[in-house]
Amino acid sequence: MSDSMRFDVMHFMPYVHLPDNHKDYVSTWVDFPNKYYDPEKAHGLYQQYFDQLALADRLGYDAIVLNEHHNTVYSMMATPNVVAATLLPRLRRARICVWGVPPNFMQPNRLAEEYAILDVLSKGRLEIALPLGTGMEYWANSVSPVTSRERFRESLKIMLQAWSEDGPTTHYGKYFTYRYLNPWPRPYQKPHPPCYIVGTGSPETIELAAELGFGYSSVFATQARAKELNDTLRERAAHHGFTLRPDQLPLLTFVYVAETDEEAEREYKGHLRRFYEDFARSTPQWLAPPGYISVEQLKIRAAGSDRLHGGFDFDHIRDSTFVAVGTPERVANLLGEWAERMGTNHLNNVMHVADMPHWKTTKNLTLFAEEVMPRLGAGSRETAAVGG
Amino acid sequence: MSTFSKRTLNVNGIDTVVHTAGTGEPLVLFHGAGTVDGFDFTVPWTDKFQVIVPHHPGFGESADDPSVDEMHDYVMHYLELFDALELDTFHLVGLSMGGYLAAKFGVEHCHRIRKLAMIAPALMLDPEHPMLDILALSGDKVIGALVKNFDALKPRLPENPDIDFIADRYRETTSLARLQWEHPNDLKLPRYLHRLKTPTLIVWGAEDRIVPAAQAAAWRNALPDVTIDIVEDAGHLVHLEKPEVVGRMGDFLGA
Repeated sequence: MSDSMRFDVMHFMPYVHLPDNHKDYVSTWVDFPNKYYDPEKAHGLYQQYFDQLALADRLGYDAIVLNEHHNTVYSMMATPNVVAATLLPRLRRARICVWGVPPNFMQPNRLAEEYAILDVLSKGRLEIALPLGTGMEYWANSVSPVTSRERFRESLKIMLQAWSEDGPTTHYGKYFTYRYLNPWPRPYQKPHPPCYIVGTGSPETIELAAELGFGYSSVFATQARAKELNDTLRERAAHHGFTLRPDQLPLLTFVYVAETDEEAEREYKGHLRRFYEDFARSTPQWLAPPGYISVEQLKIRAAGSDRLHGGFDFDHIRDSTFVAVGTPERVANLLGEWAERMGTNHLNNVMHVADMPHWKTTKNLTLFAEEVMPRLGAGSRETAAVGG
Repeated sequence: MSTFSKRTLNVNGIDTVVHTAGTGEPLVLFHGAGTVDGFDFTVPWTDKFQVIVPHHPGFGESADDPSVDEMHDYVMHYLELFDALELDTFHLVGLSMGGYLAAKFGVEHCHRIRKLAMIAPALMLDPEHPMLDILALSGDKVIGALVKNFDALKPRLPENPDIDFIADRYRETTSLARLQWEHPNDLKLPRYLHRLKTPTLIVWGAEDRIVPAAQAAAWRNALPDVTIDIVEDAGHLVHLEKPEVVGRMGDFLGA
């Protein structure tokens, strides 16, 4: 990877057609009734979102980022590998990042196989993240949150073994037994696609990324916290003998660009508000199922201010997290400053949130590609192949 | 009547707290899936019995045992604890999840139980009258469902629960989830309950919203020697709502 900045587009693919009475529900996750899911409307949304991501590819973004959530309007990607496979023929050069499927909800050999297929189909353009899965996912799946971290580690070991060692091999563990671990196909990239760990900063997860020399991306952390996490990770990775490259520390940002700062804020604010208040609306119970975090972590999290799931204060969120809204110049300056401070050259930008209409998303994607990317040292890339 | 003394025993590496009071034949209490309701209801028994109240690993004052992943681990834990306490035979009382644990212990070691009393034993497989899946509910909802008359529980709860109180409940729920998250029911217990030949009394609040009193029929059918005492106008913590049942249980065990 060169020194030039890398630009990814992350899409949550929300189901935006919330019923009028949705505020009657304390959460839009886990038990939000799926009678409100209309497949006809979902079909239309998929088409719209796929068009946006195909456009991003043509505009020269480096990667498309997908992830997995269950039982929620927040995301229509309960099985992101299906979405990735569907999207792939529409992407000409962008990498496809599945960030990712929580291995705990799959048989690890099966997940290793799915990723290998995507890597082969894309000729080595796959990148993956290995998340534990949010607390919410454990209410939706049949896996105990209490043993989730131990099971997660075992799953990762199996997947890496399946990719890195010639089969057949064996695995006799606590949660899985493989007498013939010998998956066909194998990944296109050797020994396997680039791997990241994604998390909200629990010490166990940071340590795991450091041990494996994987990249790490913190999600929904404050600027101060994210910096702290990156520093800790670099330090722990060095302890385990790894030197992390800047691109292994992707920075998750929320970005919206318009002609003036005022216009950008006016066009964006309402959607970000809905993201926080409606789409990310969860409960302490859903966020922390029994045993998902330690009692010590529970106390730390309760003491800190978790403003993601259910409260909205635009100025506070903009100033304390990574939300860049404004003119191309302002957004480029902010992103450049953050990247430098975080020690990364890899921006993972959320460019559609909540109920943002198609026109705003395509405008945002286009303006950013044409006006922000060049300002951040992406001048030499191929751009503006729109319509191709 | 006497006051409880507390001691801590190291049981196979796990610090286990045991409260003891009274003199007489030993009586062991297996508490339920939480300790917030307290154990002082056992005080009347201390006149006639040596009342022994251990805290299960992962609950109350005992240490966590992360290796626990099924109820039988607790059976093994208690075999070791009873060795350490030099308890050969004893009366056994089980409350809710502790009732199930008592039955689980009893189908293997019923010769050690002189008499058995259970209060609203949980986790019996009864598809017609399923118990409330308390792991699916938030803590405040579970606490609200514990009694019919909330006044019976209210003085035992903090007025404004602080983070330490919430963290303690999270820890105990985690310990329950170790046993129950993936397998809420013990499908095999009913098949072995006929081995529990100990004379048994089951006390149940008629309006129990956690474990329906209708499950008493399943226990009646499964146990060879059982008396069922359904108490009107009471919920899951019937012993707090209707203290007179504590006396009836003592009479049964001492008879």
